[in-house]
Amino acid sequence: MQGRLSAWLVKHGLIHRSLGFDYQGIETLQIKPEDWHSIAVIFYVYGYNYLRSQCAYDVAPGGLLASVYHLTRIEDGVDQPEEVCIKVFASRRNPRIPSVFWVWKSVDFQERESYDMLGISYDNHPRLKRILMPESWIGWPLRKDYIAPNFYEIQDAH
Amino acid sequence: MAATSTYMASTHFSMLGWTTKGNNKQLKRRNFFSVSAQEAEIEELKEEEKQEETMKKPRPVEPQINVESKNMTRDYGGQWLSCATRHVRIYAAYIDPETFAFDQTQLDKLTLLLDPTDEFVWTDDTCTKVYSYFQELVDHYEGAPLTEYTLRLIGSDIEHYIRKLLYTGEIQYNMNAKVLNFSMGKPRVGFNYNGQMEDVNQ
Repeated sequence: MQGRLSAWLVKHGLIHRSLGFDYQGIETLQIKPEDWHSIAVIFYVYGYNYLRSQCAYDVAPGGLLASVYHLTRIEDGVDQPEEVCIKVFASRRNPRIPSVFWVWKSVDFQERESYDMLGISYDNHPRLKRILMPESWIGWPLRKDYIAPNFYEIQDAH
Repeated sequence: MAATSTYMASTHFSMLGWTTKGNNKQLKRRNFFSVSAQEAEIEELKEEEKQEETMKKPRPVEPQINVESKNMTRDYGGQWLSCATRHVRIYAAYIDPETFAFDQTQLDKLTLLLDPTDEFVWTDDTCTKVYSYFQELVDHYEGAPLTEYTLRLIGSDIEHYIRKLLYTGEIQYNMNAKVLNFSMGKPRVGFNYNGQMEDVNQ
């Protein structure tokens, strides 16, 4: 099963892998981290001028980390804009994914959050540092192998 | 606690004499403790012997005179390296026990303010227990980076230790405390301690 964008990418000889469609029928593609920056630029030129959301998750214990991008093509007078979902997987040992900050500026805080929670380091991000946790925090809280420190919290106050 | 060989550096710690005296039972009593970390090669052998003991002796920092508050202004961020929970306030600074002058330039010392809101009734004995546990933790974390995270690890361990002291009946709630909300659990009558920490939620 191949979506429109996948067919277009094949026509232009761009390496990707189709992951099918999500429950809303939006095409999902996997792209290698080393290709991601150039393909992001191509997508922007193609017309995906709006990054709706960026998020990241830990695929499986000991497995890969994924960074997910939802792109939308905003045009005048369109009520069903073209959408696509991109997944970029990185190894847990050395998770490096090129930042798309210079393509879609709105990814700034979202990539920082992904860095903070899962430790994916986005190359060429202008200010990649923790955004939710204190800067001296150790560990990546949303990884499946993260063990929360036994910090004291007031639980029993009456 | 880790084995002796994992201690990263030998250090010399000392403790500041806290202002409480045995007969001074008034409510405004301050519990005070500060330790310092200084490299000292000669101490290494003695240190390893000491670590065999079950309880560390707190070693006092010499009280300083003419302490002034330093590095407290906005130019330095207007904040300090600390871990503040209700019963444990740890600052990476020297704090004068009398005047509370806060010298932030002395980052090699940690100062512990124990239970500033007077929620518990402390005796010199139980104070010393907490201080020696603090000393033990500071020795244990020697070599770790001086960040809020490390201080919070130390502070949390002390809070858990205080809770353990409360559950074994060594300290009691101070019924004259300004805020009486039993932050470590409601007091119980006839609670029998058999050497194990009871689950908090039971």
